[in-house]
Amino acid sequence: MTPLANSLSCLIALGCASFLWRKGSSPYRNGAFLAGFLVLFGVFCYFGGDINDPTLEHYPFRMLALCLCLSTTSLPLYRRRYLVLAQSLWCWIELFGGIALYYRGIDIAWTRIAALLCMTLCSTFLSKISKEMEFCLMVFWLAVWVFF
Amino acid sequence: MFRYLMILGLTLFLPGLYALGYSVYQGPSAWMVDSQTFWGTPISLFVFWIGLAHAGTLLSAIFLALDIKLDRRTALIAELSTLVSLVFAGIFPLMHLGVIDNFYMVAPFLDARGNFANVRSPLVWDFCCIAVYALLSLLFFGVHLKSREIPALDKYRKPLAWLLFPLVLWVHTIVSLDFAATFVPQWRGAFFPVYFIAGAILSGLALVNLLICAEGYRVRLLERLQLICTWILCAIWIWDLILKGYFCTSAFIFAGVLPQLRMVSVIREHRLGRIFFSVSILVGLFLERYYLVSPTAASATFGRIDLGLVAFSVGGFMLLFFGIRRYLNRNMEGAGSYFGEVDGTDLAEAEQEEFEKENFTGVRGIQKLRKGFYMQPWSSEEYRILRFPLLVGFAAAVLFSVWVWSQSVFANVDLSIANVIPLLYPIVAVVTAFTLCVRAYFVEKSFDMTRREKTLCVVLLVLAAACLGTFFAGGSSEKSAKVLDSQPIGVDTPVSQNHARLVWNARCATCHGTDGRFNEKFVREFYPVPQKLDLQRLDSLGADSLVKVILNGRNNMNAYAGRLTPEEALGLVNYMRTLAEMLSENAAPESVKEGEK
Repeated sequence: MTPLANSLSCLIALGCASFLWRKGSSPYRNGAFLAGFLVLFGVFCYFGGDINDPTLEHYPFRMLALCLCLSTTSLPLYRRRYLVLAQSLWCWIELFGGIALYYRGIDIAWTRIAALLCMTLCSTFLSKISKEMEFCLMVFWLAVWVFF
Repeated sequence: MFRYLMILGLTLFLPGLYALGYSVYQGPSAWMVDSQTFWGTPISLFVFWIGLAHAGTLLSAIFLALDIKLDRRTALIAELSTLVSLVFAGIFPLMHLGVIDNFYMVAPFLDARGNFANVRSPLVWDFCCIAVYALLSLLFFGVHLKSREIPALDKYRKPLAWLLFPLVLWVHTIVSLDFAATFVPQWRGAFFPVYFIAGAILSGLALVNLLICAEGYRVRLLERLQLICTWILCAIWIWDLILKGYFCTSAFIFAGVLPQLRMVSVIREHRLGRIFFSVSILVGLFLERYYLVSPTAASATFGRIDLGLVAFSVGGFMLLFFGIRRYLNRNMEGAGSYFGEVDGTDLAEAEQEEFEKENFTGVRGIQKLRKGFYMQPWSSEEYRILRFPLLVGFAAAVLFSVWVWSQSVFANVDLSIANVIPLLYPIVAVVTAFTLCVRAYFVEKSFDMTRREKTLCVVLLVLAAACLGTFFAGGSSEKSAKVLDSQPIGVDTPVSQNHARLVWNARCATCHGTDGRFNEKFVREFYPVPQKLDLQRLDSLGADSLVKVILNGRNNMNAYAGRLTPEEALGLVNYMRTLAEMLSENAAPESVKEGEK
C-alpha cells in the first residue's frame, strides 16, 4: 500500500471512531457499526492496495484496532481500562499476524509492536485523562500507524 | 429433563465409541483426510470443540473482569461447559497424531533420550496452551463453587479472571496459527487469530444459550451478543471472500443468515425458536471448520466413521455435561442456589439487586457517582493480590526462554523469538495461578479444606507429576529394542502387497506420506524429519535391517513389534521398495528434462 493510501486509512479509522460508543447508543448500533466498519476497511484495502500482498491480510483488522483505540478517548467511564484493552488488541493483531507472516518469510514489525507495547504499559499509569492527554495519545497512535 | 438428554447423549455416544475405537486401531486411514492439507475430521472436531470451550471463560471470567453482571448459575453452567468441551477437544488431536505413543513429543522439555520438542511447531504451542487453560478453568470453577461456602475466596475470583482473560484469547489464537503458519494457500491469513477468536466466541455463546434453554430460562444479554457476533463474523467472511475469492456458503447461511430471524419477535420469544438459532449457529460453525480443514472436500469422503466421531463428541458432551449436572443436583448441598434447578429468576434478581446496592451505596459506588471519578493507577484490589504471583510468573517465563536458548540441542535449529513467544503466556499463567493458590492457602486464615478436598489436591498433584514423568520417559523403542534385538527375525514370507499397502496407509503414511515422499507439511511442522527412503538407502540397509528398525524402533521412529507381525514388517519393506522405484522412475524424466535445458 502506498504511503498516501496508508495515511488515508488512518483518517478513515479516525472518522469511523467518532460514530462509536455515543451516549445512549444500543449494543446493536455499536455492533452493526463495528461490522460495517470492518467491511468498509476491507473494501478500502481491496481498492487501495495490492490484494496479493500478504501484509494486507490483516490490514482491515489493524484499522479496526486503531479505530477502537481512537474511540476510547470519548468514553465516559473506565477510559483507562478500555484504552489499555484497545491497545492490547492492536498489539495482539500485530504480533500474531506478524508470527503468521513470519512463517511465510516476512519479517515481524517489531518496532511497531514495541512502540505499542510501551504505550500500553505507560497508559496503565495514566490517572485523569485530560483533553491534552487525549490529543497526545491520538497523535502517538497516528504516528505509529504512519511511520512504523 | 436431564435424564432424557442423557439417554439421547448415550444413544449417540455408543455408536460413536465404536467409531473412536476403530479410528484409534486403524489410524488416519479410517477417517476422511484431505489430500491437500493431510488433515481431516479429528482436526475439524478439535477446532470446533475448542471454540465451544471458550464459553465458560468468556462469559464468566471476562464479564467478571469487566464488571458486567452475569448471574451465578449462568456463569457456572458456562464454566462447566468449558471443562466438558475441553475433554472432547483434547481427544481429537491425539487421534490425529495417528501414532498416539508419540504424544510426549509435544511437551516442551527434554525427554530421557535427549530429544527436545520442536518449539517451532504450533502443535507444541497448542499442547501448552490447552493444558494450562484446562487447569486454570478447573481452578476457576472450583473457586467459584467454594466461594459461596468460603467468602474469603471470592476476592480471588477477579484476579483469576484477569489471568484467564488473555489466556482464553491466547488459546484460540494459537489454534488459528496451526492453520496460518502453514503453506496451504487456502489458509493464508494473518487475520486468522481474530477470525478464530470471533468464531469461538460465537460458538461458545450459542452453546451456552442452548444449555440455558435446556435449563428452562433465558439471558437476553447473551442472545443479543450472539446476534451481534454473527454480524462481526459475517464481516470477516466477506473479507475472506474479498481476499481469496471464495468462502463457505453453507456456514454463511446457517451461522450468518438464519440467526437474523431473531429480529422477528414471534420466533425470538418462543423457546424452540431460540433453540433453533443456537443449533443453526453450531451447525454453521461446524461446517465452517470442516470447510477450513478440508478446503478440497472433493478429494475426501465424509463417511460413517466421520459421522461416528461427530456422534461420539456430541453424545459424549451431552452425557457428561448433563450427568454432572444431575449428580450436582442430587448430591451437592444447596444445588438450587448454585444452579437454579427449575427456574432461578428470583436468584438472578436478588444478585442483581445486591450488585446494584454495592455499586450505588457502597464506598466505591458513592465515589462513582461523583463527577470526574477515577481510580488511582495500580490501586485495584485484584492488582494487589496478583502482583507478586505475576512477578513470579514472568520470572519463570524469562528463565524458560533462557533455558530454551541454552540447550545444546538447538545448535542446529533455527529458533527465533517468534517461535518461543506463543509458549510464554501459558507459562506465566500457570506459575502465577500456582503461586496464587499457595498464597491463598497460607494467607487466608478462614480457608480450611476438608479431608476429601486435601486428598483430591494430592491426587491431582501426583497425577500431574506422573504426566510429566511419562513425558520425560518418552517412547518405548529403546526398551523393546533390548528385548527383540537378540532374537533373530527369521522371516522370508512377507504379506501380500495389497495388505502391506493397507498397513502402510494406516501406520506409516502419517509421517512418510502415502507415496513415500513424506507428509512434508506434517513432518516439517511437527516432528523431526525421518530418513529418506530412496532406493540407494534401502539397498544399503538391506531388508533384514529395515525389518528390525520397523519392529524395534530407532531414534524417533516408534517400535511396532507389538502391533505388526514380522511378516507385515517384511511386506512393508517390499512395499517401500516399490514406492522408491516409482519415485526414482518419476524423478528420472525430470532430471533428463533439466539436463536438456
